This record gives sequence, structure tokens and C-alpha cells, in this order.
Amino acid sequence: MDKVMENAFDEIKQEETAFGNMPSNVELMVKNLSFYYGRTVALKNISFPIYNVKVTAIIGPSGCGKSTLLRCFNRIFELYSEQRAEGEILFRGQNILSKDMHLPTLRAKIGMIFQKPTPFPLSIYDNIAFGMKLYQKLSRSEIREKVEIALKKAALWDEVKDKLLEPATSLSGGQQQRLCIARAIAIEPEVLLMDEPASALDPIATAKIEELIEELSEKYTIVIVTHNMQQAARVSDYTAFLYLGELIEFAETEQFFTNPKEAKSKEYLTGRFG
Amino acid sequence: MKKAASIKRKTIDYIYKTAAAFFAAVSIFILAAIIFEVLKRGAGAINFSFFFHLPKPPGEEGGGIANALFGSFVITMIASLIGIPLGIMSAIYSTEFGRGTLFSRYLRFSTEILSSVPSIIIGLFVYAVVVVPMKSFSTMAGAIALSIITIPLIHRVTEEMLLMVPDTLREAGLALGVTYPVVVRKICLKSAKIGVITGILAAIARISGETAPLLFTSLNSPFWNFSLLKPMATANVTVFVYAMSPYDDWRQIAWGASFLITASILLLTIFSRILFKRVKNG
Repeated sequence: MDKVMENAFDEIKQEETAFGNMPSNVELMVKNLSFYYGRTVALKNISFPIYNVKVTAIIGPSGCGKSTLLRCFNRIFELYSEQRAEGEILFRGQNILSKDMHLPTLRAKIGMIFQKPTPFPLSIYDNIAFGMKLYQKLSRSEIREKVEIALKKAALWDEVKDKLLEPATSLSGGQQQRLCIARAIAIEPEVLLMDEPASALDPIATAKIEELIEELSEKYTIVIVTHNMQQAARVSDYTAFLYLGELIEFAETEQFFTNPKEAKSKEYLTGRFG
Repeated sequence: MKKAASIKRKTIDYIYKTAAAFFAAVSIFILAAIIFEVLKRGAGAINFSFFFHLPKPPGEEGGGIANALFGSFVITMIASLIGIPLGIMSAIYSTEFGRGTLFSRYLRFSTEILSSVPSIIIGLFVYAVVVVPMKSFSTMAGAIALSIITIPLIHRVTEEMLLMVPDTLREAGLALGVTYPVVVRKICLKSAKIGVITGILAAIARISGETAPLLFTSLNSPFWNFSLLKPMATANVTVFVYAMSPYDDWRQIAWGASFLITASILLLTIFSRILFKRVKNG
């Protein structure tokens, strides 16, 4: 284990005696997380921290459990009855995986962007307003204002401001993905989970998304799953490398890519598998 | 040798193609023949009194089937009002709230069986549980029988449409912190809407052609009836009764009613197709 991780664990250990409060720079703490698809084990006893207002990349070869891990943070996997997580993920001292967790509240705080753009069959405007309306009683002008802010934050406003009432499905793939990001930030989350957000997009749209991630990383804690190592190196501050459901290494991105500690990491980085 | 094989292959190919085209033509021809025959014999019966007068005894001039047309409309409406919500709700349960449960699998299976129960048996069933206890044939009994036929039709089409909504869309809704019922109502049902409406129209077309279940339930009546608890004439039963009568003028009216039923089902089906196509193409 590397230093960053050890430090985090030391801090956690100290804090545990003080009723499980987390160190202030840790947004999410994954502890002994295991995950099952029916009887198949997909994640084995994973522990690592996700730091506040930083970008953490989860990388690894296909089928290593990257997306599975990401889907634990907002418990979206529960849509499928055969999927099950064990262990703890602490978010502000509360275990996300506990039964008492109020899921709509959790998911309002931890937003998610999916691999393929998922616009709702609504207008561009209503796509953004959709989630917003559920949390706050807002006047029409307030909603309008917030829709505009969200679209601006997602760098989409200039492209859509004249056609807000057109169906969201009329946008290009890259625009749809930024719309989904705008939709997620419109409800003011603290964490953004991104599941290979650019893998269905062309290089230009990908560059725009990456640029956007960079901007968003100043305000949000971002966890991004990617199979693209260059992308992870470009956008992230920390990197978690998964292989066959196990966490092989967690480190600062620069250190991971220049001087990985584990043999498996070196092999993966030099392209010997994956 | 090679050439012979090629000729054989081409011949077989030709035979198959011709046979397929021939049978396709036969099925279209049958439909065209039915429409032509019904039109030829029925169109002449349609006039003002056909639509607006009560039936008259055989031999008297100018009887109509106004009460039966009204009866068909009322029974179809009530049957839809009962059957459509039940079918939609059960489909929502089996694909959304009960997804993956054993009960939803049983539900799906039993609607499949229900949809293949002969309609005359549904008529008998309603006769036994509604008509006999109430001691009267009635509009309501007819509507209940037809609604039982609609439920599995609506269930099936709604289910198919909801299954076409990708799970990624449900996940996207849930990930915004939206509760599942809201995701179902505002996202899934909205995506499925047009398909479901098309299915509803098809189901209405189907029940407006059903006669057997009405024979033991709403029966028939030569009068105007505005009560749910009394026997009610319908266009279909009128065709059945009049066509088997020995009177020429009644048989003429039966042809007229057949024409009207065929035409309305045809129009309903064409309309639902157009609607579906237009929405599918955006």
C-alpha cells in the first residue's frame, strides 16, 4: 500500500474512536466493500478514500469491477434484485449502504453521469428542470434561472439557448452528454459519479467533456471510471487501479503513472494485459 | 456439373419465391374479397333510417338499428373504461414494481392464458357470475365480458412498450434522486405512451368485433335502452340474429350492420397504424 492510502487509514483509525467521523478532506470512505451478482463475486474487500473536491479515476481492464464500484456510491445497483453490496461506504459519517439511508436524498447529493447519454423523452428545458422541481418549491422564473445556470456550467448554454423547448433527443451525442451533466448539477450535488462519460463520443466531444470535468473539479468531488489510461492521467488527481475485482493500487495520479508500486500496475501501464 | 447445380439452386429459389408471393397474394385477396362483398351487399342498406330508427317487424318499410349502434358504443366504452386501466396497471406492476418477482412471472403467464381463452367461454363465465345472480341480461354484463377480453390485450401491449424503455433511462431518473413511482410515471410511461395508445385502439377494434360473449350477457333488445341493468341491443348481435332470419329485409340490415362494423374496425386500425408510424419516425 502506498503512503496516501496509509495516511488515510491512519486518520480513519484515529477518527473511528471518535464515533466514525471522517477526516475533513475525505468525502467518501470505502471500507471492506464486496459486491455480488447473485453468487458471483465482483468486488473483493475494497478500501480506499475519495478526497474532497478532487478527481479520482477508477481504471482497470474490462470486467474488473470499475463500473460496479461506481454504482455502489449511489446504490443504483439496487434496481436489480440479484445485486448486493457488503461493507461500508462512509459519506459524512453515515454509511451509504445502511438500510436507514434515504436514497432520494443520497442520490440528490451524489449525482451520476452514464456511459451513454440518457436524455429523458422531454424538452431540453424540462430535462434540466425535471429533478430540480422535486426538491424545492421554485417559482417559474427561479427554475428558468437555474436551468440557465446549469446549462452554462455544463458549457452547453450557447448551443441550446434558442431551442430550449425542442426535444433533448434532437441534440448530438456530445451535447446530450453535457445535457446530462447539466441535469445532474442542476440539483446541486456534492459528488459527481461518471461512468466512462466520453466512451460513446467522438474525439472532439470527448475533449469538450474532459475540459468540462476540469472546470467542474474546482467545485465538485468527481469519481470517474475510464478504460482510457491517458484520460485518467489527464483529468484525475488520484487513481484507483482495479484488477479482477481487487484494488491493486490507489495513489496520486502522477505517482501512479510515473512510479507505480505494484507489479500488476506496472504490467497494466506498459500494456502487458488489459 | 457446377452449372447443373447452379440451375437446380436457381430453380428451387424461384419456386420458393413464387410460392411465397402466391400465398401472400391469397391472404390479401381474402381480405379484399371480404371488404368487397360486405361493401357490395351492405352499402345499399345504409340510409337515414338505418342510423336513426328502431328496428321494425319484418315486412314493414324503413326499420333501422339505431338502438343497436348506441348499444355497441356504450358497451365498448364501458368495457374500455374498465379494461384499459386494469390492463395498464397490471402491466406496470409486472414490468416495474414487481420486476423480477415470482408473482410478476405468474401474472405475465396468466394474462397470456387469459388472452387465449375463447371469448364464448368468457361470455359463459359472465353469464354464470353476473347474469344469473342478477336474474337479468344487462348492458353491464356485456361490458364486463368485453372488458375481460381487453385486459390481457392492454396488459401485453403496455408490457411490451415498457420493456422497450431501456433500463439506463430508469437508472438516470433514479440517479437524480427521483423516486421509482415518479420515474415510472414521468419517464417510462411517457416513453411508452404512443405504443400504449396504439394498443388501446387495437383492443377497442378487437372487442367491437366480438359477438359470442354478448349473446349470453347483454343479449338483445328491440327498444331503446338507457339502463345498465337491462338487456341491450348491439350491432354484432343484430348481425347474428338478423342474418339467420328468413326475412330478406332483415338480412339486408344485417349486411348493412356488417359493413358498418367492418368499416369502423378498418378505420380504427388504419388510424392507429398511422399514429404509431408518425410517432416512431419522430
